[in-house]
Amino acid sequence: MAETVAETAKSAHISSMRQFKAIMKKDIVMELRTKEMLTSMGLYAVLVLVVYQIALSQAGSSFDVLRIAAGLLWLAIIFTSLLGLNRSLVHEKDQGCLDALLLAPVDRPVIFFAKAIGNLLFLSIVVVIILPLFYFFFLAGKPLGGPLWMLPLPLIVGCIGIAGVGTLLATMSVNTNGKDLILPVLFIPVMFPLLYASVAATTAVLIGDPGYATVYWNSIALGAGYDAIMLLAAYGLYEFIIGA
Amino acid sequence: MTDTTVSQRRFLGIPGNTWTLILLGFGAVLTTIDFVLAFFYTPLVVGAQVAETRIINGIAVSNQLLFSQKIFYFHVPVAIGSFLVFFFTAYYGVRFLMTKEKKFDTRARIATEVTLLFVILTLITGDIWTRFEWGVWWVWEPRLTTYFIMTLLVVAYFVLRSSIEDEERRATYAAVFGIIAFLDAPISFAITRLIPSSVHPVVLRSGGGLTGTQLLAFLLGLFGMLMVAWVVYQVRLREELARERIEGLKAALEG
Repeated sequence: MAETVAETAKSAHISSMRQFKAIMKKDIVMELRTKEMLTSMGLYAVLVLVVYQIALSQAGSSFDVLRIAAGLLWLAIIFTSLLGLNRSLVHEKDQGCLDALLLAPVDRPVIFFAKAIGNLLFLSIVVVIILPLFYFFFLAGKPLGGPLWMLPLPLIVGCIGIAGVGTLLATMSVNTNGKDLILPVLFIPVMFPLLYASVAATTAVLIGDPGYATVYWNSIALGAGYDAIMLLAAYGLYEFIIGA
Repeated sequence: MTDTTVSQRRFLGIPGNTWTLILLGFGAVLTTIDFVLAFFYTPLVVGAQVAETRIINGIAVSNQLLFSQKIFYFHVPVAIGSFLVFFFTAYYGVRFLMTKEKKFDTRARIATEVTLLFVILTLITGDIWTRFEWGVWWVWEPRLTTYFIMTLLVVAYFVLRSSIEDEERRATYAAVFGIIAFLDAPISFAITRLIPSSVHPVVLRSGGGLTGTQLLAFLLGLFGMLMVAWVVYQVRLREELARERIEGLKAALEG
């Protein structure tokens, strides 16, 4: 059966862009109708910021929150993304959509890219909401160490990795008994290097210590390297995951 | 039941006894020699300069001698061993995905079990070293961090396995995760090392060259540990294959 699906897909190769668009459109339309993912992710992010306020409330005025700001920001992003990744695949699973997708003559990599880019899109929207809120709540009035244009790059590199690897791991975790309990256990250790690089790059821009540009570009390069290796691996392995 | 002949054993994929025993003997002897050499023969590594010259063992020294460095002869072979065994998790994972044969999944799982053992040993010995070198129980130093993450990855591998009932799906997911985890570990080492954290200094000595005895002790330890790893792997594999056979026979009897 697998061969016939592959052959059909091959004969309709021109349309893989259309398949990709169709899956993306389905995700976006569903989100526009239910608004479930964006509201839950956005609310969750705000709640995390409230918890930060509690955590920092007794730190005293001599404590400079700027030094850990990048870490806090990434913490909010990683936990929010866990929520979103889970949602995005639980939908597929619960409503039998994934089975339907597998029955349709669609290339497996197309499913991967469409889901990953959909997740990237929602994650980016949430980050765009969190970022000003975070600045407003914790960093208001503090000068940025580095130039502002340097700030988006680590966010982009980080979010691409989160969405790509996260889509693979979330597809695995929704098919287990543990469901949303399993995803963090798999996700956080695998994400460790990328998070480390992203926090380093973001901290470099926020603080702007002497020599920050070197640390910044090193971290960006390493983060991008992680993205390249892991996305290739995820792209190659997704077919096995979705077929099992 | 009669004893299985060699050809039957080969067919069943059960490795023979003799080699395992010989390797176990070699591994035990080599690691023992490594310990003896490490503690009684290798010269102490010279550390940072201390304020005044002191007499230790009848030799005037003006530098701190690092007795704690002795753990190097145990720690590094175990660490290398853990990584080599982890490679087999990924290797058998790839083989499984290519063939979908159950035996590769069993092998990958057992390789991961041995990895867990060796990673935990590395973590403990590394931590002992940290305690005596820097006076604290834990430092987020690149190597310790990497092995901590590796431990979590290996634990996650087993958490993933235990949460899936369907056999083929479990094997496929485990293979995929094993490959991802194996790729992740060196990247996390590279990244923690290349982006030094600003709080703790990165103390990585460039290999100042080992003297003859030191190199000998290290190599003996390395080969000894690799043999021990291989034997643990083989023994576990045999146990597992026997268990699978018994379950197969049970199913056949009941069916």
